[in-house]
This record gives sequence, C-alpha cells and structure tokens, in this order.
Amino acid sequence: MCILCGEFVSSPHWTDRKFEDAVRAGRISEGEYQMMRRRGRIRRASLVGEVLSHYGLRLSDWSGSKYILRDSKGRTEMVADLGGVWMAAERMLGYAPDPLDPKFIEKMEAG
Amino acid sequence: MKTPIIVVTGFLGSGKTTLLSKILEDSAMRNTAVLVNEFGEVGLDHHLLRRVDERTVLLGNGCVCCATRGDLVESLVDLLGVRERGEASVERVVVETTGLADPAPILFTIFSDPVLQHRFEVESVVATVDAVNGNLHLDANPEATKQIAAADTVVATKTDMAEANGTRRLISRIVRINPSARVIEASFGDVEAGDILDRDAAHAAPDFISPEPHDASETRSVSVTFDGAVDWAAFGAWLSMLLHARGEDILRVKGLLDVGDDGPVVLDGVQHVIHPPRHLDEWPDDDTRTRIVFIAKGIGADEIISSLDAFAGLLGAKPHRIVHEARARAM
Repeated sequence: MCILCGEFVSSPHWTDRKFEDAVRAGRISEGEYQMMRRRGRIRRASLVGEVLSHYGLRLSDWSGSKYILRDSKGRTEMVADLGGVWMAAERMLGYAPDPLDPKFIEKMEAG
Repeated sequence: MKTPIIVVTGFLGSGKTTLLSKILEDSAMRNTAVLVNEFGEVGLDHHLLRRVDERTVLLGNGCVCCATRGDLVESLVDLLGVRERGEASVERVVVETTGLADPAPILFTIFSDPVLQHRFEVESVVATVDAVNGNLHLDANPEATKQIAAADTVVATKTDMAEANGTRRLISRIVRINPSARVIEASFGDVEAGDILDRDAAHAAPDFISPEPHDASETRSVSVTFDGAVDWAAFGAWLSMLLHARGEDILRVKGLLDVGDDGPVVLDGVQHVIHPPRHLDEWPDDDTRTRIVFIAKGIGADEIISSLDAFAGLLGAKPHRIVHEARARAM
C-alpha cells in the first residue's frame, strides 16, 4: 500500500493491519477484532492528534471508521486512515508535516 | 497460501539473465513462471530464457514497473488462470525488472492490487551487481543505489573477471548502503538456487551493522534499537508521518520491532511502499531487542535518532543507535 495513495487503496492501511491479520487467521473472534480495532483507532487518533496539535490541527476519530481533521479556520476533512491524515494535513498546512524538522522536534520535546 | 514472487533487479549487463538461467536449472524452480520485459536486450534475454519459454510471459510495453504496472497485474492474473485451468502448475513467479527500474512500483502493484494482494506475496528482492562495473554504476546512477537498498539479497556477479580488491571494495560499499542485505558472490554466474531461495537467510534476524557513510555517497544507513518495547500505534504514527514527508529519501526501512507482545513486528518498507507488517508469534532467535535499519538519502543518523527521541514519550521507549565495527559478512 502506497502511503501517498492511502485514500484510494481499498485494503487496510498498514498501521491498521495488526488485528486484521489476527482475525483472518482466526486467532481472535470477530467481536474481539471490532473492539481491538476500535480501541486501536481511538488511541491512534489521540496520538496523532497530539502530534498535529503542534501544527495547530485537531484530529478526532469518527465512529471507528473515519478520522476528522480540523484546522483553526474551521476547515474540516474526513479521511479513512493515517495515510489520508498526513495528506489532509499537508493540504491544510501547505506543506507536509515532517518529523525530522528541528522546529517540530523542539515543540514535541517541550510537550 | 499465497504464491511467492521473487523480484530480480540489477543494471543492464549486471548478469540478471545469467543468474536467472542458472537458478532456473534447479529442480526446485521447475514450476516457476518468469516474467521478463521487452526492454533493451530483449531478444537476447528471451533467447536465453528459452528453457522456460512456455511459461514466460513477455510484457509488451517496456518497463514493467511504471508505465506497464497494469500489465504486471494482467500477467499475474493470467498466471492464476493458467493454474486454475490446470494448464500448468505455478508454484513461484520470478519478475525480472529492466536495468533502470526502481523496484518500488512492482512491490506497490503486488501489495495494493485488490486481486494480487490476496494471491501473491513478495518473497524477496534480489539485486545483481557486476563486480567489474558495479562501482561505476553506483557512482553514475541513483537507481543502482535504490536497487541495492531495496534488495534482501545482493548477488555480486562476474567476480571471476574483477580484481579481488575491486570486488572487496564493491562488497563493502554494498554493505555500507544496505547493511541488512545478504551478499552472495557469484563467479561465472555460479550461484546455487538454494541460496537465492533460502527465505530464512534472506530475512534472517538482521545483525545490522551501521558503518560510517562513504564520503562519496549521500546514501547512509542507521540502525536503531530501543531501551524497551515500543508502542506500535505510536511507531506507526511516526513512521507513516516520516514516509509521507520524506518517503522519496527513505530508500528502505527493515527490521524487527519489539511491541511488547510474544513476537516482534516485521517491518519492511521500500520508499513509500510498506510490506503489510507481519506480527510474529515468537522471535526468530534469542535476541528480543528491536532492530531496525533505515537507509536514507541525505538524512543524517542524528536526525532520525533525535526525531524518535522526541517521540519517546509516545513510544514508551528511548531510541539508541546500534554501531558495530564495520565488517562485510560475505568477505
């Protein structure tokens, strides 16, 4: 799966994969899968939301199937997975948020 | 059971075809379909692959990777048909790329196509480098470096024609570019199919070495471990962010990640393309530490470490660089 095409790819984004494989292999039940998947997505939304807060963006999970990204001007985008989140963030910011950017690292370290 | 695909890449004249015809002689490769393309020395390639003629599907449009990605899909789906109609048994597929090809689009095609992703898996990427001209290719062509970075196994060919010193220099350069690759020397195209097919060896728990970058090359690798288990969701967030912003420059990410479960997560990415991560039930050996190598162009080891360090709170562990004495294991 190309992370640049996240939104157009019908398969799960690689970050969503952990429980998908387990349920396919029959290691966990469908119910457990839904719960773990949902929990994973909420956790991911909060983690990535924390990262994006340094760019003035807010991210929330929408009923376990979409992420909603908002900027301070009230613009909103709905995306399916993390690949889509970074693309939407790039559209809103005008540049791709880069984890190697020293200014960003400084902000992350300051908390 | 998914059908394994071996991707064979390497510059024109680097001995891909010789290597292929050699390994296709092996009885283990009997039911192997070979996809070659009609670029450059086609006639010659096809002629040499006569042995597998029946199963050779020639791709019409030149480069298998980009322009004719659809053709790769078509050929592979065709093969499924051939097998299901009982016309031939196809246990494995070898895809030979053009010399200048970047292997990433092939991997992307296989991972993302709605049919192929459930029927095929990439077993390994093999790159051939010619010991006589390899250094030249690496100097002049960024694609050559990408091919080495994407490879699980690098076969140094024509070592019989090269000076011993030259071969040693080339191999140490290959290891500097991609410390996670296995390097095999093949003189006179002499290589055992078993070596190429040895999946465990190709994906052995990597004993990554992180030699200092070569002056002449911008491509460098950094091997990283953590002082404890990392949070998979946080690591996925960091890596997907990194690949989105800098995917063109990250030629490869490969390794085992301790996420606090019984087994590690196997990570393998080539530029923007990530193999679906596998969550293993147990570690392949006694060493249960995270080991990840990043091969990057124009990105310093310090940048990756300090970025991971900034994420330490979310990851739940602090990163450390793994540095060993440089040694090329094929030497």
